[in-house]
Amino acid sequence: MQQLDLHCQMILEEYLQSRSSFEIMKNIVRAQLEKCVHDNGLYVTAIETRVKAEDSLAGKLALKGYKYQSLSDITDILGARVITFYTDEVDKIAALVDKIFEVDWKNSVDKRKMLELNQFGYMSLHYVCRIPESLYHDEAHPEINQYRFEIQLRTALQHVWATMNHDIGYKSGIEIPREHLRNLNRIAGMLELADEQFSRIRKEVADYRRHIQSLVADGNFDAVPLDGDSFRSYLALNPFKKLIEKIATINQAEVYEDNLLRYLDVLQQMGFKTLGDIERLRKECSERAYQLAVHQLAATDLDIVALSVALQNLCIIYILQQRGGVLGLRLFFDTLFGVSESNAERAERTAAAVDSFNIV
Amino acid sequence: MEVTINQEANKTLVVLNGRIDTTNADKFQQDIAPLLQGEKPDIEIDCSGMEYTSSQGLRIFLMLQKSVMARQGQLVLMHIKPQVKEVFDITGFSNIIKII
Repeated sequence: MQQLDLHCQMILEEYLQSRSSFEIMKNIVRAQLEKCVHDNGLYVTAIETRVKAEDSLAGKLALKGYKYQSLSDITDILGARVITFYTDEVDKIAALVDKIFEVDWKNSVDKRKMLELNQFGYMSLHYVCRIPESLYHDEAHPEINQYRFEIQLRTALQHVWATMNHDIGYKSGIEIPREHLRNLNRIAGMLELADEQFSRIRKEVADYRRHIQSLVADGNFDAVPLDGDSFRSYLALNPFKKLIEKIATINQAEVYEDNLLRYLDVLQQMGFKTLGDIERLRKECSERAYQLAVHQLAATDLDIVALSVALQNLCIIYILQQRGGVLGLRLFFDTLFGVSESNAERAERTAAAVDSFNIV
Repeated sequence: MEVTINQEANKTLVVLNGRIDTTNADKFQQDIAPLLQGEKPDIEIDCSGMEYTSSQGLRIFLMLQKSVMARQGQLVLMHIKPQVKEVFDITGFSNIIKII
């Protein structure tokens, strides 16, 4: 423990007496940050909170205790940190923090804006805040609304750099030669560029998704490449509703709406390149797919069917029409259900059913 | 219809024998009730002795699958006879429940 003068010892004593209040504050701040991230549909890499340890505070007081008149002048006894994926999310969360807590603007710093045009280094947004009485109030502990705390907001890459810089630059305890510091700052520049690129890529992907969704909504299916996003948008239009409802009437069955996304691999393996290919499959093979269901279900008392049976039967008809035969069906079942010896029996049985009723 | 449930380490092994139809679907549902509890269940059902399942049986399997998924677990039906597998196939239930 550091040797402290009387003034600093008094601050340290106040800290020890107030520690439980800071722990309460820590729980409030953490819960509020987690709620704000969740309620706003944000996804962050981490939310960290800590109350400064006694020896860490003693070290700080030994170095610059003269700057503080009392414990309430020290704003980082409680520290919180939100680490985001993207740079724009730092600003989003900052705006939300402003709504939740009382921000002490005079002591809050946007370190991202403090660097000169030709400088690269520590980038983080530091807000000094208080817990407003509207959020939490306990008459027995008014200090919970009086003590300030610090929230740091930064991206994952900014966090990596800050952590490495702290580890290499400060913790080593020796002065770092200029060229090593320059190397650290060069990496800061590189990470800043990477952060910007990640944000740009995310925006471009979002723009692409919106474009695809509008093409799907307009029914412009031939212009839409078949992939996970476009298939999801297509399924949202419920394209197999009519067929499954028709199949359900065979036995007055209940329809269980299962997820059809697993058919993406199957359709791609069948050589489908666009949503237009699926539309043609739906239009050209629906009647035969229904006939297959009639021959399979009519003689049974099965009164529940999954939505996927519509697309399953469409694929079966298509494969047999394309002269894929039993082998084609086996490949279809292997892709759909996983490779298994038993898929040979499935394929034989299905091909025989289609064949015996002259469906294809 | 008989249901035997055995717990082995982290896996629950279930053996089904006989037919699941309107006459015994309620009993089947009661028998598998223990499978609806516990975190991250890993359930294997040996169906080699299962002769038939009706729609009621399919609904109970569906309920079990949903319960297992909600608890981030997994459910597998094993050694299922071709005539029973056909029921799962033609109703589309093979797309919902893993059969190996």
